Amino acid sequence: MKPLALLVPDALTATAVPVQAENSWVKAFESLEVFGVPVGIFAIPAIPLVFIALYALYVGVYGERKVSAFMQDRIGPNETGKWGLLQTIADILKLIQKEDIVPIAADKPLFVLGPLIIFVGAFAAYAVLPFSSEFIGADLNVGVFYAVSIVSVEAVGILMCGWGSNNKWSLFGAVRSVAQVVSYEIPASIAILVGVMMAGSLSMQKIVMSQSGELGILHYAVFQSPVAWIAMIIYFIAALAECNRAPFDIPEAESELVSGYFTEYGGMKFAMIFLAEYASMFMTSVILSVLFLGGWNSPLPNIGGVALNDWTSGPVWGAFWIILKGFFFVIVMMWVRWTFPRFRVDQLMYLCWKVLTPIALLIFVFAAVWELYVR
Amino acid sequence: MPNNLPEIIEQVKLSLGAFVPEISLSALFLLVITLDMVLNEKRVVIPMVSLVGFVITGFFTWQQLDMPNQEYFLRMHVVDPFAVFFKFLFLGAGALAVLITMDSEELGEKNVANIGEYYAVLIAMVLGMFLMASASDMLMMFLALELVSISSYILTGYLKHQIKSSEASLKYIIYGAVSSGLMVYGMSLIYGLTGQTNIYEIAKFISANEVDEVTLTLAALLVMGGFGYKIGAVPFHFWSPDVYEGAPTPVTAFLSVGSKAAGFAMLIRFFKVAIPAEPTGELAFDWVNFFALIALVSMLLGNFAAIWQSNVKRMLAYSSIAHAGYLLLGVLVADDLGTQAVMFYLAAYTVMTVGAFYVVILIANKIGSDDVNDYRGLGKRMPLTAAALTVFLVSLTGLPPTVGFIGKYMIFTALLGKGTVFLTLAIIGVLTSAVSLYYYFKIPLNMYLRESEDGAETPMESSAFANALAAFLMILTIGFGLFFTPLANFAKNSVIMLVMN
Amino acid sequence: METVSFILFSFLGALVMVGSIGTVWSRNPVTSALFLVLNFFALGGIYLLLEAQFIAVVQVIVYAGAIMVLFLFTIMLLNLDDEQALKEKFDLQKGFGILLGGVLLVEVLYILGLKINLPQKSTTLTPVEIGEAKNIGRELITNFLFPFEIVSILLLLAVVGAIVLAKKNFSPNT
Repeated sequence: MKPLALLVPDALTATAVPVQAENSWVKAFESLEVFGVPVGIFAIPAIPLVFIALYALYVGVYGERKVSAFMQDRIGPNETGKWGLLQTIADILKLIQKEDIVPIAADKPLFVLGPLIIFVGAFAAYAVLPFSSEFIGADLNVGVFYAVSIVSVEAVGILMCGWGSNNKWSLFGAVRSVAQVVSYEIPASIAILVGVMMAGSLSMQKIVMSQSGELGILHYAVFQSPVAWIAMIIYFIAALAECNRAPFDIPEAESELVSGYFTEYGGMKFAMIFLAEYASMFMTSVILSVLFLGGWNSPLPNIGGVALNDWTSGPVWGAFWIILKGFFFVIVMMWVRWTFPRFRVDQLMYLCWKVLTPIALLIFVFAAVWELYVR
Repeated sequence: MPNNLPEIIEQVKLSLGAFVPEISLSALFLLVITLDMVLNEKRVVIPMVSLVGFVITGFFTWQQLDMPNQEYFLRMHVVDPFAVFFKFLFLGAGALAVLITMDSEELGEKNVANIGEYYAVLIAMVLGMFLMASASDMLMMFLALELVSISSYILTGYLKHQIKSSEASLKYIIYGAVSSGLMVYGMSLIYGLTGQTNIYEIAKFISANEVDEVTLTLAALLVMGGFGYKIGAVPFHFWSPDVYEGAPTPVTAFLSVGSKAAGFAMLIRFFKVAIPAEPTGELAFDWVNFFALIALVSMLLGNFAAIWQSNVKRMLAYSSIAHAGYLLLGVLVADDLGTQAVMFYLAAYTVMTVGAFYVVILIANKIGSDDVNDYRGLGKRMPLTAAALTVFLVSLTGLPPTVGFIGKYMIFTALLGKGTVFLTLAIIGVLTSAVSLYYYFKIPLNMYLRESEDGAETPMESSAFANALAAFLMILTIGFGLFFTPLANFAKNSVIMLVMN
Repeated sequence: METVSFILFSFLGALVMVGSIGTVWSRNPVTSALFLVLNFFALGGIYLLLEAQFIAVVQVIVYAGAIMVLFLFTIMLLNLDDEQALKEKFDLQKGFGILLGGVLLVEVLYILGLKINLPQKSTTLTPVEIGEAKNIGRELITNFLFPFEIVSILLLLAVVGAIVLAKKNFSPNT
């Protein structure tokens, strides 16, 4: 596939050597054995898990507080430790100490399992996130599709929480949330398909590799087709809705539903639900960057002898770039949350079915024609 | 199946030419949906558009008469005289259904705000029936059957402010889902046994290789579950009384003729082609005896249960179960004479059943009831309508000089001379027809010989259009009873089915 | 690798069975539906073991993710009580069910004992390649083009029907 045929002369792109994803780190882990016990197999999923925990602590909770404080002209946490850095650690310690309360009228198995399933649904998608050219949990040939589908399991968990709590706010929240998640899956999937179509593969690593090249950012899918940026925006909006983030946070709408489906939860179960929310925020951000913004490819171009792209490429740089891109969109999500008011239920559905879905379909057709006849 | 792309494209291009009637129906379906969104006044325009569409489709179907018998679309779809005959039948039934819907109060402006989609779904159902008659692959059989089933569920529940209609639709869905499930399970077993989904390939495999008989029998029984549900034969008939009663009457009429005919078309093709007689003359799976059993039970149960019904629609439902039995008698003869009789009888059945239901609609429009006891004194108040109903009932019983008599006569003759078992079946068929005389004639009895309770004698004839349509169907019923040769010849010429080459 | 996949298969198979038995046995419709989700999910896992990644994912997104969620949604909105309220009235039905179930069980056992010699289909593709989205798509728009197009009509019809039956301003009184 010839990247950027319209904007860049052939001579420039011809020399571009795409980076090969060997997944060598994963392979190294797989063969790691200690006294005959395949430790490596367990280490691969543990790495994203640790990552989620650290990220949720610092970018998630602390970051959100600082961002909101900045937006509202406050200072935010500043007492605990230097710049309030220990604040989230203190919060976690508090949550761990809390008594694990299950309401008497609750359906106990559902109540207990619900948060777990929500978290598992969000975490399972990390298996196909390409953290670097050398590290991806499982390079499935249907990677993106897997990520889309496994996230839908979260909806089951949310319903279990809402129903199991035996509380009308919880049930309302769960029902709203599921209606929202299931509806927004449609524009999100169509937008994803636009990206997939441009890369010609469903495999995450192949999608990323299709966007690498000497000119860095110019090879990114978002600049390859006149409609790709629209698909990107649609996916971002739908991702906000799927993560139940403001302005689509009607399932937890504090002012009407207390906290929606997790009203009855406290302690670590509450922490688990929050962790899942931050996990899926990062996950959708990474999928967005993989599909449209080059994944682990460096955005810097080679300019003549100054080979910025070559210098900033490689497995470790890849991890740096993709995490940076992920964090960027997480911060944008927070920015959005503290800027826009909440939608009403009917406005939310209107936006999904009558605005985003038709536009996404049109773009899909246009992108297909563009792929076939122009690129 | 060809594997290279140019060959596939060539085949698809060729197949499109053999698919014109279906394409025209699909276009009509989309057109009606669009018109429904655009137009303000739909009650006249959309049925007219549908009728014109049916006529155009009929023209394209007529052109298929001279086409070579062949499989199209990479061996998924067959065009042969057998399929074409049924396509005409479905178009006729569909057109009649459109006509009688226009006159129904039940689906009138007072009860149903939006009628556009009704016609769209009806057209989709006709399309599904077309595909059922032509399907030569188990995959297509299932899809076509589902297309018809889903449209039937929607049409049955169309009067959704009436609990009976919704209940009927729900029951229909549950029975339908179970029997489609059984059918797909049976088909998967057949696929597991033979490795083929195309019925001609299945036949080839079965006659060339040793196939486990028990498994094949079970698989065929399960497949029969799906077909039996569509034709409404015992023991897959449980849905029909409730659905016939609850559905809007035009839908009942269409279901009882169209759906049944489509089910028979697919059943005949499947059993005659896929499970052929072995060189020794034995069947790989003895479906003849099995059908004999089903036919026997259907005739007995249908006719005897109908005796106790006082709702006319329910009574006709049981009568339709009994008719499935008679038709199966024709199928199990398994030769051309039998198939020809089935085809003739299905055409006859379409005319007389639609006619009977139409008259039931006309009466219900006036007196607002489907109960036999409310029909008292109608002979004087609605003379033409009552006379028409009597003719249709005579024909359903199978008495001369009507088309129903010729149909039954042809089926019973096909059975004669095939052995004692078949003769016994024919005799039981005649005897149960005599039973049906009892309940059918309860209606004329009430209409002519009993006074209505309030003694009202004011005439209340329907519109001229309604009378003309009822009279037309009545003339057809008697006319084909007297001059049956053209129809019988058409059936005879259409019996040619693409069989294994 | 053989033993690993055998252990996984046994585990998933057990989950499938627990799921389906739980679906039938639990009195509470919500639990019933959740067991069905478990069943579908475990089935998806079995597809993965068979290297049919695409079908596994479809299984999860369509059944576990969409259909069952809407199912649960409806059950919760209707707020159905325990099934006890719907006592079985007909012993005949029960008997028929047991009979049918027994027949199917015997049939499955019988088929398991069969030796079937199927004609080998010639294909150059490995199982993983057959399961790839690319090859499935290719088959769909070449050899199975016709059923594929018919399915589109079927789906359109179903959408029209669902809207017709669910639309609010249907009754002329409103």
